[in-house]
Amino acid sequence: MRPLSPHTIVISPIGDFTPELLDRISEEIKRIYAFTTDIQPLLKDIEFAFHPNRKQYHSTPILDELARRAPADAIKVLALVQVDLFIPILTHVYGEAQLGGKACMVSTIRLNEGHRSLNTQEPFLSRIIKEAIHELGHTFKLRHCREHTCLMHYCRNEGDVDRKSDQLCRYCRVLLEDDIKRLEGK
Amino acid sequence: MSNIKILIVDDELIMRESLAGWLERDGHAVQTAASGEEALEKIEETHFDILLVDIKMEGISGLDVLRKVKESDPDAEVVMITAYGSIPSAIEAMKDGAFDYMLKPFDPNELGVLIEKIVQHQEQARENIYLKEQYKDRTRFESMIGQAKPMQEIFDLICDVAPMDSTVLITGETGTGKGLAAKAIHTNSSRRNGPFVTVNCGAIPEHLMESELFGHQKGAFTDAKETKKGRLELAHGGTLFLDEIGEISMRMQIDLLRVLEDRVFYRVGGTQPIEVDFRVIAATNRDLETAIKSGDFREDLFYRLNVISFIMPSLSQRKEDIPLLAEHFLYRFSQETNKPIDSISREAMDEMMIYDWPGNIRELENAIERAVVVGRQREILPENLPIFCHEPAPAVRAHSLKDVEKTHIERVLTENQWNIARSAKILGIDRSTLYSKIKRYDIEKIT
Repeated sequence: MRPLSPHTIVISPIGDFTPELLDRISEEIKRIYAFTTDIQPLLKDIEFAFHPNRKQYHSTPILDELARRAPADAIKVLALVQVDLFIPILTHVYGEAQLGGKACMVSTIRLNEGHRSLNTQEPFLSRIIKEAIHELGHTFKLRHCREHTCLMHYCRNEGDVDRKSDQLCRYCRVLLEDDIKRLEGK
Repeated sequence: MSNIKILIVDDELIMRESLAGWLERDGHAVQTAASGEEALEKIEETHFDILLVDIKMEGISGLDVLRKVKESDPDAEVVMITAYGSIPSAIEAMKDGAFDYMLKPFDPNELGVLIEKIVQHQEQARENIYLKEQYKDRTRFESMIGQAKPMQEIFDLICDVAPMDSTVLITGETGTGKGLAAKAIHTNSSRRNGPFVTVNCGAIPEHLMESELFGHQKGAFTDAKETKKGRLELAHGGTLFLDEIGEISMRMQIDLLRVLEDRVFYRVGGTQPIEVDFRVIAATNRDLETAIKSGDFREDLFYRLNVISFIMPSLSQRKEDIPLLAEHFLYRFSQETNKPIDSISREAMDEMMIYDWPGNIRELENAIERAVVVGRQREILPENLPIFCHEPAPAVRAHSLKDVEKTHIERVLTENQWNIARSAKILGIDRSTLYSKIKRYDIEKIT
């Protein structure tokens, strides 16, 4: 495994998240991506993205705002929210990421079977971690993977998330390393 | 499912961008167009596998884009994007060749499923074209031989039918190659790596049929010393070929119908339900619709089997294939018997072309086998062929065709001391057909 990169991936909770959950996500980011992590709440208010008719939050402008507010040494930003997200063409999304960009986010709501309160018991904890790592993968240009056990596999429901492993497949690992080399100018 | 080229046509920037972003993350190559005009320009330059087109746009509408695409690139599939109020237009689009329509906003899972469905549909269409090209102008398809138009049509039909998972009913006279057609369907289907299990419904005695099909648990009946898997279980993941389906008993028809409907059965004496997944191909030389009218065959089973059906042409309908088939059998039997017979005389071929071959290809095969066995020269002569040995017609007092057939079978059986294999060969039918005819005509061995 590569030594930890001096560049940082910022984990940005929006709302109340337990230190235990944030630590677990941080550990997993280090394990999969080998970047140092920093927990920084970059955005407190996301009401600008609220859509009253849909009663959901539009994820794309939140990502734009997160990317704008990212610290200079942050290579990526991962935000966590406890609200239901959408993009205009779809009814809902688990999360969204800027493909090959800086920011991504994941919502815990649909991973917790629609409950608004945060649940860090298993299997919910593992679901949140897997989908956070998945969204972060998109910012490293990884696309959905057909391998059902790969973290980059697109899951249609919670059961699919539970079935996939906590690892990237060999193919996605190679693509990830390519993009990290590119980012670090090697 | 990568490298799918998708064009999104929508005049709303936010819709284009959000859909493009989603599909790019899914691994597709996505382009967007902000108007019908821009879409038509892009279609001129590039082939897209899928177009997602908003119905309501200023200028060239979504329906106009659909019609243009279907004219210039019929392989591209178009999905109309529609708001709740424009469903009638979406239905109109379906009539004009749209693959489907989706209401905004889409459920992400439904979008994913729809794209997978289109990709599978396109792959299947490409596979069909490939198969047809491969077998174009060919005289062989799998184990079947034929250059006559009716057989070329059968080869095309098999290419079309094979990739579907639907039940197929093959009808046609005895000896026309129904079994070979069933095998060709299996070999060209997605189940090709699974088993091809044949149940010869006419050859298995009724009292053994249940155990043969469903299997049995140890101790289910006196002779059930071990648990045995039935043919249904053995066909799991592959194709179950029910040959001579017209011969099964009413009781078995009921049992079979239940399995085909539920895909679940129990072994004889078993309590555990067994789930099975197989494709069914059935064949018969009987007219099942007549059998339904006479109460010999269940109508519901017929409709369950008759999803896709075709008739194998008789040899008399494809006489131009006789030389090709005769040469094929000659080569095979001369190799098997190690006899240096390598041609068929003009006169013998003329005889074969005139003859009607009621036993079809099987009769021709048997005739050539016999000719090779009895032949003493390098070529087959008319006198080597059984069809040339004009015997006086048997004294038959009956008048209907059925009576003639019954009498003829009785005569052949008696002449051959009820040796079923030998009698079947002489009659140009297989043993199971002979058994079923014995049963149907109630022919009894006179001792």
